[in-house]
Amino acid sequence: MRYDSITDAIGNTPLVRIDPVVHGLRHIDLYAKLEMLNPFGSVKDRPAWNMARPLLEAAAGGGETVVELSSGNTAKALALLAGMHGLRFKSVTNRMRVPEIKELLLLLGAEIEELPGQSECLDPTDTDDPLTRFHQALSEPGSAYVHTDQYFNPRNTEAHAAGTGPEIVKDLDGRAPDWFIACVGTAGSSTGVARVLREHDPKVRVLGLVAHKSDFIPGIRTIDEVRQVGLFDPATYDTIESVTSDEAIDGMLTLIRRCGLLSGPTGGAAYEGAVRHLRAVDAELSDSEQRQTAVFIVCDRAESYLSYIRQRRPELLGSRLRGPSAAALTEAEIQADAKAVGSDDARRWITAGEPRPIVVDLRGPHAYAALHIEGSVNIVDELFDELVRGGLPFSKRQPVLLACPVGEKSARYAALLTRMGHPDVRSLAGGIVAWRDAGAPLVRE
Amino acid sequence: MITPGRLTGARSAGMRGEGKVPVVGVPLYLRPRLEPPLTSLLAEPPFLHSLVDALGSPLNVLLPERIAENADRFRAVYRDHHLAGRVYYAHKANRSSALVRRLAAADPAGVGIDVASLGELRHALGCGVTPDRIMATGPKDPEFLWLAARVGATVNLDSPGELEQLAGMVRKYDLPRTDVLLRLSAFESAEDSPRAGVRVLSRRSRFGSPVGEVGELLSAFERHRDAVELQGVAYHLDTTAVAEKVRALERCVVVMDECRARGLAPRVIDVGGGFGVGYVADAGQWERYTTALTEAVLGTRPPLTWRGHGYGLRNEGGTVRGAAALYPAYRPTAGPGYLDELLSLPTPSLGRPPATLLLEHLYDLYVEPGRALVDQCGLSLARVLDVRRTGQGGGGYLVRLGMNAGDVSLEEHGVLVDPVLLPRTGGVGEGGEGPVGVHLVGNLCLEADLITRRTVFLPRLPRSGDLLAFANTAGYVMDFHAHHAQRQPVARTVAVTREGDSWRWCLDEEYWPITHPGGQGA
Repeated sequence: MRYDSITDAIGNTPLVRIDPVVHGLRHIDLYAKLEMLNPFGSVKDRPAWNMARPLLEAAAGGGETVVELSSGNTAKALALLAGMHGLRFKSVTNRMRVPEIKELLLLLGAEIEELPGQSECLDPTDTDDPLTRFHQALSEPGSAYVHTDQYFNPRNTEAHAAGTGPEIVKDLDGRAPDWFIACVGTAGSSTGVARVLREHDPKVRVLGLVAHKSDFIPGIRTIDEVRQVGLFDPATYDTIESVTSDEAIDGMLTLIRRCGLLSGPTGGAAYEGAVRHLRAVDAELSDSEQRQTAVFIVCDRAESYLSYIRQRRPELLGSRLRGPSAAALTEAEIQADAKAVGSDDARRWITAGEPRPIVVDLRGPHAYAALHIEGSVNIVDELFDELVRGGLPFSKRQPVLLACPVGEKSARYAALLTRMGHPDVRSLAGGIVAWRDAGAPLVRE
Repeated sequence: MITPGRLTGARSAGMRGEGKVPVVGVPLYLRPRLEPPLTSLLAEPPFLHSLVDALGSPLNVLLPERIAENADRFRAVYRDHHLAGRVYYAHKANRSSALVRRLAAADPAGVGIDVASLGELRHALGCGVTPDRIMATGPKDPEFLWLAARVGATVNLDSPGELEQLAGMVRKYDLPRTDVLLRLSAFESAEDSPRAGVRVLSRRSRFGSPVGEVGELLSAFERHRDAVELQGVAYHLDTTAVAEKVRALERCVVVMDECRARGLAPRVIDVGGGFGVGYVADAGQWERYTTALTEAVLGTRPPLTWRGHGYGLRNEGGTVRGAAALYPAYRPTAGPGYLDELLSLPTPSLGRPPATLLLEHLYDLYVEPGRALVDQCGLSLARVLDVRRTGQGGGGYLVRLGMNAGDVSLEEHGVLVDPVLLPRTGGVGEGGEGPVGVHLVGNLCLEADLITRRTVFLPRLPRSGDLLAFANTAGYVMDFHAHHAQRQPVARTVAVTREGDSWRWCLDEEYWPITHPGGQGA
């Protein structure tokens, strides 16, 4: 397929049937609408382009900045679109909770502004929330911002009413599915798709999924947050249910490991929420009735959420490091094998030892640069840890004095190096703190 | 059927405290988080009734032992991270003498006091806190500054002007060289942002010197070395967001570096701005309540507040706008846990967590945990004076208390939490009455005098003579806003200590750590 612009590749995403062996529903065919296959990677490509297009055409090259409240996929799509049109993009967000997404946005050239947290010493008369100030800044005279306003912009919904919805109907041979399941973020996809499906068949039932209130699932709002969305209309949904991040990850794993769909947690939440709801429906259906169909949206892909997974299910990413490890030593082993030397003896050893020890300072480089023992070498603990996994980093004929802030880490590594066969490694007892308190010299170079 | 907030699936329901569906009419409790010794004190209604009978309503009750325990909990976090330095109690949180005197008896190397006025400074000195443990903060008048410098307290400098003023005063009145901390602010300017492109915004503060102008300030310090000694730098960020505080702490490390480069020898970084208190015990109750509040603002359920007050939330065409001006009263991590988190998160540019940075740079840590240090240290009692139905046939009740909104300034701080009903007779649930929603009104002849605008659910309808106990009020809620309007009595304050199976009490001003068996001296 040949295109003049990448934006022409937005939409026309596949609708893929989920193998019934995987979901176990006997009377319902479950389909995944793979919005993750849009060119910028998510369901937001459609609304981003639809909302931005008229604004970009008007603003192209005018030095303006496209701005949106987004911490994820809309920001990603808008950053790319702005770049294509020679504009800058700024994302304003409460907190970027997935570090990779933040880094990805920076890579795409976006600016990120994070709003301040709640006040600890609350002033109830201060009713200006950060968002009010954001809107004030947008409407200031001479403001060079182009605001796409995804939570209130009807063009968000339209993108799905014109694209996603009709595509589903077309791929189901002109019929609307019996069920449509969508996670609610801006409510754009669920509202737009539901409108089209109901025009085809008023009996379509729409299940909206929100995040469990105390939980966080990327791209999905909690029930309270959903109510702040201008596009959200409770009448769109026959049912609103909540899903947990745990369920989202379960669903994601099923889609990835059993269906070949590289879905992120949002798609996982949609799958899990769909199956959970439909299981009860399925049990009520009999073989004599007509089979039902259900469609859910796979919003984006898995790659950007590794830290999200690591936080919640570290075991899924848990390849253990090999080699000798200081962390594996018990207190008893450290006691037995770590030789410690006090500040005064250490000073004598450093000045008059035969041979003199090499002093290794395990603190961070910034602290080392600020003050250290003269002549010492800085190998920050993280790096030192890597080094010793490969074997002894010092000749056995070279005595070593290890120093850390309080003598705890240095004792651990001294024990480890001794166990690895080094004959003369000692730990500075009480660390640099004790050294300073003993009045021993520290230099700044 | 539209069922907002409905939870289906065993997993969802099982994860929450009660897992029940919020239904109109079901009492939306916000039960207070209670820990010993507050729990056992509340289990003694006759004792509390006798106190109010003798001393009148309202009455403040303090548990001085608990503040020492709280300080120990913060010190334990220090120990875990191998950090040295003091935990400072912000005196402004409570006027009590008992609390200050109890802390005076705590480890001098571990606990200090932060005073924000001449009166507080004199009070701290009179309670036995030695000047080396006192830090003078906030806006300072000349007398306050003079006394602080005279006795040798540490002065937390708010502005370059204050530095000039202090240095001039030290020379003119031949005062000792004064230890100072430099309070910094405005950490958000883009140049400080280690990762270009990410700007973490912070609320503007009226206190402190902008970190961007620190170069000139340090030059001023060099000029005034004969008069002041720079102990370190401080910051107080009014935010619950740990990320903002971690960024500021890292920036302080960099500023300290600049100090060292100029030949100054600072060794303290002072962190303030509140570490949070969990007022509400159950996450589920808090979540259900806040969701219901949103629904009430949208009009999909009856109001949960007096005259449908929305606590800052507005209904604009069916969409909720604005932010709820509520203290986040349920906290999974607060106080010492919050400090631990703050010390453990990676810093944005140096990468090492704050605890490691402090330790590696050989810096001591001072903290001002704010209300977290007086968590669970007291309660406020009010006598029920009158109970009657609200006029408009709403089925609700007005409960008038022998106190006003100034005596328990919950509303002033956006704190929503239930009081504990302490019946006069001890017979709970007489007459088979069930839970009831009431409005708590104060003793002033003023429409706005509501103890809280929230409809408060109680296990049964209170009767005249019952007591309501507002738990956990020692931090800012007890006497910060108390006033003499209408010549209504201001609450007296008593200190109570547990002695075996019974409780002993004395007036707050009569308390000394040696008077009670629970204290240090006995």
